[in-house]
Amino acid sequence: MSSDRTTTHPLRPRPLWLNLLAAASLLLVGAGFYLGLVVSPPDVNQGELIRIMYAHVSAAWVCFLAVIIAAVYGMLYLWKGRPMDDVRGTAHAELATIFAGLTIIGGMTYSKPTLNTFWTWDAKLTLTALLFALLVGYFVVRGLIDDRDRRARVSAVVAIIVLASLPFNWMAAEWFRTLHPAKSFDVSASGVSDSADPIFRWILLFNVFAVAVTYVWFSIERIRIGRAQVGLEEQRETTPVTMREAIDV
Amino acid sequence: MKRWAYGVAAVAILAAAGFMVYNAMSSSLVYFILPSEYAANPHDYDGRRLRLGGLVQPGSIVFDNEDLRLTFHVTDSIESYFVRHQGTPPDMFQENTGVVIEGRFEDGVFVSDNLLVRHSEVYQAPEEGEPVDLEALKDSLY
Repeated sequence: MSSDRTTTHPLRPRPLWLNLLAAASLLLVGAGFYLGLVVSPPDVNQGELIRIMYAHVSAAWVCFLAVIIAAVYGMLYLWKGRPMDDVRGTAHAELATIFAGLTIIGGMTYSKPTLNTFWTWDAKLTLTALLFALLVGYFVVRGLIDDRDRRARVSAVVAIIVLASLPFNWMAAEWFRTLHPAKSFDVSASGVSDSADPIFRWILLFNVFAVAVTYVWFSIERIRIGRAQVGLEEQRETTPVTMREAIDV
Repeated sequence: MKRWAYGVAAVAILAAAGFMVYNAMSSSLVYFILPSEYAANPHDYDGRRLRLGGLVQPGSIVFDNEDLRLTFHVTDSIESYFVRHQGTPPDMFQENTGVVIEGRFEDGVFVSDNLLVRHSEVYQAPEEGEPVDLEALKDSLY
């Protein structure tokens, strides 16, 4: 960046479609709430508690999606070295951390009345705790490294390590004996299988979609801020020390 | 030289972390054992706490709501053990439900201090015109 940008606002102008996306996210989540809390029937065994499942599973699946995307941007950074890939990867890693936290909180809420415990160290829960710890570690490591390129490379590697744990987490209840129930809805090489009533599946898929759209909206907002940060840092580095006061905030 | 030292430290930390994860996982991987697995090697578990997992045998549930004593049989349809649990049954506890119980064997009786429900991945809406009968569920416990 050249120094003629010192007077430009670091945030790009807000496009109309971003506001539309925000409105669509809120509407979708609202509709998801309505479907989950009003339209959905109770479960034969769990009764009304089945409604917590929609929130818990949506958070978990979107967390997995965010980890995958964060790792893809990490790989892109290692390959091409573009600063924006680090910004994007970090935005998605932040959201993965938030959704991992929501998954654990939702899981505990769901698990106490149904399974009779908040937490137990079975394979699924242990791997999820590890996932959350690794994601927190991602930001601890970032805070320790000042050099921008080194920080980006190390975070990319951490994101790829987190990705490596995902298949085990995804299949934990199928591969190992766990307290956590196995997946009822599964898409595999042999096709789609589902041991739940279709109404539960469709409401769940709608909620996953609503949360995923919200996640995309959040990630775009976060990337806009990240891009502005990089822009400011570059401006600062290319501005003579005597002129820096003009752009310091 | 400095790089070399950092490398050794990194490998040592990773190995330690890996070892801890492996240790935690190997006990997590076999989260519970089945009644028939216990029956095959009962002496392996002498005086040890274990998690036993199986189904609640139909017709075996007895709950004394005066002194909160719950007894039932846990089965994997090969072996079945008598379970004594101090405390109220969880909401989803019923016949043919999966359970994981924590405790130890005392003279062939499994004395449990933690009763967890392990429900299946089958989710079903109640039939048309048939509300979830909580009373019937509760009745099945007595």
